[in-house]
Amino acid sequence: MAETTSNADSLDVDLRATIDRSLRHPVMFFFSSGAVWLALSIVLGLIASAKKHAPDFLSCFSFLDAGKVDAAHMSTLTYGWGAQAAFGMLIWLMARLSRKECTASGIILVAGHVWNAAVAYGVLCIMGSGSLGPWFESSGIAGMEFPGGVWVVLLVSFILISIWSLIQFQVRDAGHVYVSQWYLLAAMLWLPWIMVTAWLFVFVFDGSPLMATGIASWFKGTVFALFFLPVALASAYYLAPKVTGRPVCSYNIALFGFWSLAVIGPWVGMQKLAGAPIPQFLPAAGAAAMVMILIPALSVGVNILRTVQGHGKAVALSPSMRFTASGIVLFVGYGVLSFALNNNIGLKVSQFSYAGYGLDILGLYGVFSLCAFGAIYFIVPRITRREWLSRRFIRWHFYLSLYGLASIVICAVVGGVFQGQGTEDLTQPFLTGARRAAAYGWGITLAWGFLLLANLFFCLHLLLMWARLGRRSSHPTLLNKHHSESPHGPEGEVDNYGSATA
Amino acid sequence: MTFKSFIFGLLASFGLPWLAVVVFPFSKMRALEPAKFEEGDRKGQAYSPMRDGRVNEGSKIYGQEGCYHCHTQLIRPTYAGPDVHRDEWAGLRLTADNPDTRRETVPTDYDGEDVAHIGLGRVGPDLSNLGRRLDHYLKGRDLTPETWLYLHLYSPRTNAGYVENDQEIHSHSTCPSKSGLFKEIPAVQAGGQALPLYTPEGVAVIPTDRARALVSYLASLKKDTLGAPLPEAYNLNPTAPTKE
Repeated sequence: MAETTSNADSLDVDLRATIDRSLRHPVMFFFSSGAVWLALSIVLGLIASAKKHAPDFLSCFSFLDAGKVDAAHMSTLTYGWGAQAAFGMLIWLMARLSRKECTASGIILVAGHVWNAAVAYGVLCIMGSGSLGPWFESSGIAGMEFPGGVWVVLLVSFILISIWSLIQFQVRDAGHVYVSQWYLLAAMLWLPWIMVTAWLFVFVFDGSPLMATGIASWFKGTVFALFFLPVALASAYYLAPKVTGRPVCSYNIALFGFWSLAVIGPWVGMQKLAGAPIPQFLPAAGAAAMVMILIPALSVGVNILRTVQGHGKAVALSPSMRFTASGIVLFVGYGVLSFALNNNIGLKVSQFSYAGYGLDILGLYGVFSLCAFGAIYFIVPRITRREWLSRRFIRWHFYLSLYGLASIVICAVVGGVFQGQGTEDLTQPFLTGARRAAAYGWGITLAWGFLLLANLFFCLHLLLMWARLGRRSSHPTLLNKHHSESPHGPEGEVDNYGSATA
Repeated sequence: MTFKSFIFGLLASFGLPWLAVVVFPFSKMRALEPAKFEEGDRKGQAYSPMRDGRVNEGSKIYGQEGCYHCHTQLIRPTYAGPDVHRDEWAGLRLTADNPDTRRETVPTDYDGEDVAHIGLGRVGPDLSNLGRRLDHYLKGRDLTPETWLYLHLYSPRTNAGYVENDQEIHSHSTCPSKSGLFKEIPAVQAGGQALPLYTPEGVAVIPTDRARALVSYLASLKKDTLGAPLPEAYNLNPTAPTKE
């Protein structure tokens, strides 16, 4: 699994440098614009959360109305930040693992700009519905708020971004197929299938309004389970062996983890419609799949963590590995929480309470984004040929992220369970449940503040790197005081190899 | 694992759920047989309760304003939650003045809308029977359901609320104001449209067309059995008829 760097001859280093150089512009574009979207999304999340317990907060701006800002928050988090971070990881990992340089970075870059423009337009539609005129109206469908046409543009840009990675895989020199490549290939095939399906069945075909809601919910669930998760896991399966210099612990567990996700993932999503007048097995299957997400979570968790076991120092020192390992631990946590909130007792209290939101954020910010941060801390120095400027920034980013995330998830889940129980308890007036949740709502708002701070460090740091103001050094930025030894293997890979031209 | 078997595995593992969760249910729900009455005066007739109001347009605005983030429109069967018994969510309770009109949600409840606003959360109450509740509470008061809704959307915490058990329920609302759906104009131009609010001298607040469509939709939310008894097929747990 691991690309062994110890005996890397100069040809190998040359090839890697060529690959990195060929992908420099698109990957940096995805990461930096994603980071800006992330900051925006967190601001929107903070406002959205504040409005739940302080309804008059910023009520003078109709584009920041509660429902609109909620939708804009999740859309920017998913398609502005999440998707773009995933694209950057996907194209870089696939090129490196297939050992092929990218010959279409111009097209990828253009498609990336189109993706950004489409997301920006979609967000304008969400926030400007009713005030910006007939060209700016959102669809108003939970989970797919962008207007119908935007999804087509997103789909086409995704295909133009990812198709080159598929080609790279096909024309690679015959050899071992890495675990990461399974996940990347699958993610590249699943996402278009999911997007085409959702677009056709929600926006094009004329069907039951209930199925439109159900399929939009399935879309939201599967995009996470079959796109964001696989890309995050591909990155973890790449970085863990790379940083520790050990092969993946067990090939069979990796195989099992992959196929269990492939079999369970496509069923998730419709548990949000439990009790709705649709065929009863749909929400039941969705809930069962969410319960069984624990299976791939445990397999991947065990496999990755056993790979890095005994290399605690490398995990602690390497920013990439520290974020990735945390993301993987949180994946196991996600599986456990999903199990607890989607079984037939848990679903009653989580279906319409904050708890479901807590699970979504744990997945998207906890599992996916932490793995994405890990990948970004690894990839960016290689493609910019500069080292990260400040280990203090990285450390703040890490601790504030974990602290903010834990606060959001704990507040949302605990508050959500109280809220759900209050709503279910018929001896109490409805307001009791809502009031119980409000206190935790304050906690969530505060926690978004911590995440905002974390991401200001991250965004600033990344933009400095993007401006090529990183350190010119052959020593990677590690989270210790001395650069005595590098967990990234021997020096030379992250070096000023060749002429480090801008 | 060869590339071919890998792709085949992906096709199978995704294709089966895709058919089972998306394609088949979609075609089944599209061609849903209308439930027919099996006995009584309407024997053989299909169940198709009519909804007054700008349902399709209002439903779109309901979605665009994001109301579904905090409000549901779903009365779950008791296996999934006790919504039927919660306040007046499912319909009116049995009192001296009115029959018990409560029922669960049925597929035809969303007819005329592009998408069913099941909802993501319950920060506010379920709205399946908002129109019915307003009709009920505002009976005998000098306030139409539409005006109540305008006042609620414009300023949720003013005292236009209904009184229940000597308590003004309305003033407890945590609903954010949707004042963007209204505009201020000189009072002389308002005609009869001005909302009954205390406003600065010479200024009147009137609803925009979006507010009218939304309110028309909200007032149409009457998903209970009053005037529209359910066919037996929907009646999962019928109460035994009392014969004397």
